[in-house]
Amino acid sequence: MAEEKVDVLIIGSGHSGGMAAKVLTEKGISCLMLNAGPVVDFKKDRELKPVYELPYRGFNMPGRLPHVFQANEFNANIWVDEKEVPYTYTPQQSYNWVRVRLFGGRSLFWARQSFRLSDYEFKAKDHDGFGENWPINLADLAPYYSRVEAIFRVRGQADGLPQYPDGNFVVDDSPWSGSMQRFIAAGKKMNVPVCKARNAMGVDGLASSINLLLPDAFATGKLTAVPNVVVRQLTVDKNTGLADGALFVDRHSRREMSVKARVVILAAGCLESTRLLLNSGLENSKGVGLANSSGVLGHYLIDQVYGPGIVCSVPEARDGKATPGLMGGSALVPRFRNITTKSKNFIRGYALNVYSSTRPMDPRNFADYGESLQKKMDSYEGSGFSISMMGEVLAHYDHHVRIDKNVVDAWDIPVLHVDTKYTDNEFKMASDAVDASIAMAEEAGFEVLSKNYDPNPPGYSIHEQGTCRMGDNPKTSVLNKWNQSHDIKNLYVVDASSFVSGGWQNPTMTILALSMRASEHLAEQMQLRNI
Amino acid sequence: MRRRDFVKAIVAVPVAARTMFGQQAAAPQSAATAALPPAAETAPTATHDKGFFDYKAHPIAASVPDGFATTQANFFNKQQMATLRKLCDVLLTPLNGYPGATQAGAPEFIDFLIGASPADRQHMYRAGLDRLNANAEKQFHVPFAQVDAVQADKLIRPWLRIWMPDHPPKERFASFINLAHQDIRTATMNSQAWSIAATATGERAPGIGLYWSPIDPDIQMYV
Ligand SMILES: Cc1cc2nc3c(=O)[nH]c(=O)nc-3n(C[C@H](O)[C@H](O)[C@H](O)COP(=O)(O)OP(=O)(O)OC[C@H]3O[C@@H](n4cnc5c(N)ncnc54)[C@H](O)[C@@H]3O)c2cc1C
Repeated sequence: MAEEKVDVLIIGSGHSGGMAAKVLTEKGISCLMLNAGPVVDFKKDRELKPVYELPYRGFNMPGRLPHVFQANEFNANIWVDEKEVPYTYTPQQSYNWVRVRLFGGRSLFWARQSFRLSDYEFKAKDHDGFGENWPINLADLAPYYSRVEAIFRVRGQADGLPQYPDGNFVVDDSPWSGSMQRFIAAGKKMNVPVCKARNAMGVDGLASSINLLLPDAFATGKLTAVPNVVVRQLTVDKNTGLADGALFVDRHSRREMSVKARVVILAAGCLESTRLLLNSGLENSKGVGLANSSGVLGHYLIDQVYGPGIVCSVPEARDGKATPGLMGGSALVPRFRNITTKSKNFIRGYALNVYSSTRPMDPRNFADYGESLQKKMDSYEGSGFSISMMGEVLAHYDHHVRIDKNVVDAWDIPVLHVDTKYTDNEFKMASDAVDASIAMAEEAGFEVLSKNYDPNPPGYSIHEQGTCRMGDNPKTSVLNKWNQSHDIKNLYVVDASSFVSGGWQNPTMTILALSMRASEHLAEQMQLRNI
Repeated sequence: MRRRDFVKAIVAVPVAARTMFGQQAAAPQSAATAALPPAAETAPTATHDKGFFDYKAHPIAASVPDGFATTQANFFNKQQMATLRKLCDVLLTPLNGYPGATQAGAPEFIDFLIGASPADRQHMYRAGLDRLNANAEKQFHVPFAQVDAVQADKLIRPWLRIWMPDHPPKERFASFINLAHQDIRTATMNSQAWSIAATATGERAPGIGLYWSPIDPDIQMYV
């Protein structure tokens, strides 16, 4: 059959691709969406099971998913298997790349914490001189954040803090529990704000592209979606230098196919988008990869520091004595370092996730065993209070990904090599986060049971960002401020690979707002026939 | 409405495939089926198909073997297994109507689990069990399997640590003791014996979770 040129080819069906499809199809533009993995059938693919029926009693198959700390035997089948799509990393610099290739991508499983970046992130360089500013600021993105928050039904409270920008929230006026009130009071004494967390409520318990974005796109009749096709590389028209489609492989049969398109949108989930660009281009004087005249494609990989934190107990809740309303609920401490004061040994900052629990404690909080451990667990049950860090990672040029020509995935596509690590700034910040958490907990009168200063491996946060950064200068960035390639004007990259810096904030609201903004820009350019 | 339309759209492929299969003889042929070769002699007839699609599944009460069978331990050597059994006895005894690690088959299960594990995990366990036994011989002149409760406490307690998930203690032997403790607890509490005890004590849905089956697995992984 003769190849028909599609208007817009979207690669990826997660939050970023779903938003692009919704915006473009609602403006009357036809889109073809290719996605590497299958469609989930929520009825057929899930069932309630007792853990003892699982082959490994809940331990998961040994050696499977060694870098997905979030995996367990119940959910092991949702993640990308490292044997099927491997990646390599520099010895001693392990990287946790946590991927989902199902239709809808990671939007099916995300934890829904929903934050805006502030100008402390967009204009970070102005504050401390490190790195680069984004080419946009909060005012540019605020209208898009508002629309995204409405679609995803983000629940929150206005706090009026510049480092924790307010949004278009379903108002959270739930009362604070007693333990949280004590923590808030401790924060006040120490000049640390304690706020309500902000979460996407979504609809029917799901805040995914498959229920909040793609239904609208399908309703226009303008979206064709194809699951189970793995894109190998983009293709370029030799005469114009423009992107003109993609080569892809049928996931099951390995049939090789090609498609032609007027515009290509990459939304394959940060590192996969960069991998596609790196696999699509020939070597040139600056480096390898399509749309890489700057030579920075693959560089400035960032994520967020997770792992450091503490577990405490609220003494008044022990031995079953918790009064109603004492325990429960969550809070968020937005960044408070390097806002009005300057930290001695690190720049930027971190936020703290805070939880008050009515459930049993983890036995690892007690160096004990047998009956005596059980007695402690009984006594401490329902008194847990935990604090964990989400810290900014600085963007360095040499923290990068490149193609490992010696290893291919199940479809013979060369894989990524990840070369990154945390540096002094992240370690010092982690140390400060734990010490500050201890100080606040003690001020609140809690007993600190356990603490951990060591960050989890890079990538663990599932918030990988950068490697295809935006900027005004084509010599130092891959994309312009509209997520459009400087080099190839009919190529857009709408996932977190465009990020210049990441802050402490979970990235999805920003991914969605940027994808919405980029897609509207593209629609406008197509209408003006500039593309 | 919009959501329902979408659900229809994304399930379109399996529904269409099923319809094609069921329609081989009866339904008017679409362009796609018209191009198919005629059904082979052995192909199911329309009558068989009809019966197959009308079949209402009868529930089958399936069991797991753990209720009546013992896991054959064959990874650790005799002495290591004896040490592991004792460690299980010491760390998690029967309490409040719940089985201990031994009653839940944890030692044998861990032998199987570690036997199937990557080499570094196997090495940590073997070296850890050997050292625990050597420490018992050195301090009390008996194998660990024969120490009494007080002696066991002296051998184990100094190595117990407080730690957070994903960050076990860094010293090798402490790491072994604490990770083995965690594994023994998990193997016990995730056993069928524990679940039966929990049900008996009135706990609701003990250890029940939402299990995801393999989702349209890659057919090439099976050839
Ligand atoms: C357990 C978990 C908890 C999280 N919690 C939060 C949170 O609380 N807050 C937050 O902001 N974020 C959170 N995240 C991160 C969030 O899910 C991601 O930031 C977001 O979903 C990324 O969307 P995306 O569209 O850019 O990428 P993805 O969701 O990864 O989608 C990319 C899609 O591209 C497809 N693809 C990849 N390569 C190819 C190829 N070669 N050919 C064809 N298709 C391809 C994949 O199949 C996939 O469906 C969490 C993630 C997880 C897994």
